Amino acid sequence: MSQPDHEAAVAAGLDGLDDLLEHRSRLAACLLLSRADHLSFSRLKQLLNETDGNLGAQLRKLEDAGYVSAKKAFQDRRPVTWYRLTAKGRAALLSHVDALRRLVGR
Amino acid sequence: MADLDRLQQDLGFVRRTVTREGPHSPAATYFLWSVLVLAGFALNDLRPMWVGYYWFTAGILGGVISAYLGVRDQRRRGEIDAAVGLQWTLHWAAFMGAVLLLVVMAVRGRIGWDAFGPMVLLLLALTYFHAGLYLSAPLRWIGLLAAAGYVVVLTVPSYPWTIVGVMLASACGAAGVGEWRSRVAA
Repeated sequence: MSQPDHEAAVAAGLDGLDDLLEHRSRLAACLLLSRADHLSFSRLKQLLNETDGNLGAQLRKLEDAGYVSAKKAFQDRRPVTWYRLTAKGRAALLSHVDALRRLVGR
Repeated sequence: MADLDRLQQDLGFVRRTVTREGPHSPAATYFLWSVLVLAGFALNDLRPMWVGYYWFTAGILGGVISAYLGVRDQRRRGEIDAAVGLQWTLHWAAFMGAVLLLVVMAVRGRIGWDAFGPMVLLLLALTYFHAGLYLSAPLRWIGLLAAAGYVVVLTVPSYPWTIVGVMLASACGAAGVGEWRSRVAA
């Protein structure tokens, strides 16, 4: 493949990526949520090594896009927010990961 | 190729984040079975007529309490995964099913009651070992110890079951301490 062809292929591959999931923490959060039924905010924060504010902002963007749903509950009298990947989020994640595989495989 | 470079760095971050250790049992579950195993195995030497009643009760109660402890642990860790619970349930249900089938064989006289105990112990060793391979790593050592226990009950003349009970209870206790320490460190 010539250099211009290669660059065109890479550009096409980059276009296949989901804008929302290009952010590493949002992608990692969705991947973690795809492997469990629910994850709490504090568990996500522990796994992603993020601050409260930053993680909250990223999860809000995912929630606004309909990729994750949030449910507030109480545990041992303390409020807990549980997150779950929606069907829309799972489809977007699969599509994004496929695009990544094609891109990184080059 | 700045975009690709950034992408590969991001993927490295994601890989490090999502790569994690396999599922573990809570420490309380190991301590629970440490006590149940010690009592149950010693009964084989001291009050063999009570063994069937003991394991019928303790086995079921122990399973229910273990399930509760597992659910509670998932909630406390902030990670709920019903699939993991189902794996454990099916795993131990398969063991209990196999034991029931052995009981049928013994009741019908196909195997002697003196052979029943060692056969159940061998089955337990296999079950623990496979749990250690696919569910919770410390259990594979308990499986190997149970296999050694099988040799003990066939060869040691005095209180073999109590000896095996102490071996397995100690192993469960040690696994519980290890699990508790790793949680505290995290």
